[in-house]
Amino acid sequence: MDLVRQLLDKKVVDRHGREMGRVDSVILEIADHRPPVVSAIELSPSVLAQRVRPILGRWMEGLEHALQISAGRPLRIPFEVITIRDQVTADLAYGETSAAAVEHWLRSIVARIPRSS
Amino acid sequence: MSAIVDLVLGVVTSIGGFVEAGSISTAAQAGSEFGFQLLWAIAIATAMLAMLAEMSGRLAAVGKCSMAAAVRERFGIQFQFVPLTAELAIDLLLLAAEIGGVAIAIRLLTGLSFQWWVVPVGGAVWLVLWLCGFGLIEYGLGLLGIVTLSFVVSAWHLGPMVSDLGAGLLPSLPLHHHLRYGFLTISIVGATVSPYLLNFYSSGTVEEKMTEEELWVNRTTAYLGMSFGGVVSMGVLVTSALVLGPRHILVDSYAQAALMFVPAFGHWSVGLFAAALGIGCFGASVEIALNAGYLLSQVFGWSWGANKPRRDAARFTAAFSVVVAASTAVALMGFDPLRLTTIAVALTVVIMPVVVLPFLVLMNDERYVGDHKSGPVGNGVLAAITILGAVFALVVVPLEILGG
Repeated sequence: MDLVRQLLDKKVVDRHGREMGRVDSVILEIADHRPPVVSAIELSPSVLAQRVRPILGRWMEGLEHALQISAGRPLRIPFEVITIRDQVTADLAYGETSAAAVEHWLRSIVARIPRSS
Repeated sequence: MSAIVDLVLGVVTSIGGFVEAGSISTAAQAGSEFGFQLLWAIAIATAMLAMLAEMSGRLAAVGKCSMAAAVRERFGIQFQFVPLTAELAIDLLLLAAEIGGVAIAIRLLTGLSFQWWVVPVGGAVWLVLWLCGFGLIEYGLGLLGIVTLSFVVSAWHLGPMVSDLGAGLLPSLPLHHHLRYGFLTISIVGATVSPYLLNFYSSGTVEEKMTEEELWVNRTTAYLGMSFGGVVSMGVLVTSALVLGPRHILVDSYAQAALMFVPAFGHWSVGLFAAALGIGCFGASVEIALNAGYLLSQVFGWSWGANKPRRDAARFTAAFSVVVAASTAVALMGFDPLRLTTIAVALTVVIMPVVVLPFLVLMNDERYVGDHKSGPVGNGVLAAITILGAVFALVVVPLEILGG
């Protein structure tokens, strides 16, 4: 499998088809005398920023700390619970993951404005 | 039948949505300073835009993803970071310029300083985005934009010589002010081939759920709609060349540009110019703000769509809201909208190669376009546009300093 072309940067949806984000990085497990194995994918702005420039990643981590949303981040999804097709489907509920923190917070604001639903 | 309706609506909205701050200001300046001599630049820029729009629509109809999403998947964030940042900066500046354009249009009608109108206009842009679905935004504003056809009516009324128009459509070198001529040529290309238009076009194709069988609608809309839109831009240039040029009026503000309607429309000239400028810029403002939301959501994989309830796409909603607020703040600082447009257009030209290059790869990748890959002609023209874009990107900054 070509990890960069078939997995990295692909869209990730949960079991109900809700957009969770994109595959921001891929975690490989390397053991002696065995080929590397993909153990998980990661979804996180700080991991993504780190891919652009390490310093941007540190800034983003700092921002997550400041906004008090760093708990459970980056979100690591085990390889066993994902299916890869045109997009990556994770067998979990988006709302229960740490990736939904910002969406939840913004939704609480948006929902207060009339005609938001 | 519905495909025909889609087609007509698509063409009409392309015409109505074509003219905005960038195209009006560059075409008016070109006309007043060089007569019909830069008509060819509008023709070539329009052909480039039509071709790229058709491709981004094809990618969206077949691959079910927008340009920004496809670039993130195919090229990764390291490649996309620079064009993404630049595109957001362009969106911000252009949106500020468009909001300023609407505010100036209202000033022409009311006489009250344009800064009084900036916040109400920004608020109106946001309100349209908050309340309307994609169809209403696209078709409603596009239909209102038909008022911009008054540029064509005006040009027609002035009765330019057909042979002069024909001569203007052939590229030629000027007898004077070569640097200014070069600068305006590149500005016309930058104002026409805006990256926001391309991503907006492909996102719209996804929003409308266009299928592979409707590709002919996409093709016809792109080529026919954009060509007619280009004719409106040419109407601006021709009117400016025949009215402002002989009187040596240089377009350094929109109030001066408004004078171009006097011979054709008399008493109605200011009102009609204000309506064309105001509606053109307002339509573009809504599209640019929406595109900023699309862009960020698609790159980062958030839920997006103008047809979704706003709370179900909270990050998308927040993204376009923040961009509207930021641009309104920039416009409020009192920067001259014409100057903002010039900077945004120059920045567009600088990033043009990285905007066009991905087309060359994506339009030949069957994972995105299936059997509808580009042929040798399409690829050849794209390669030529990429090289041309790279040359433009190299010379735009020196030209801006020397001829801007």
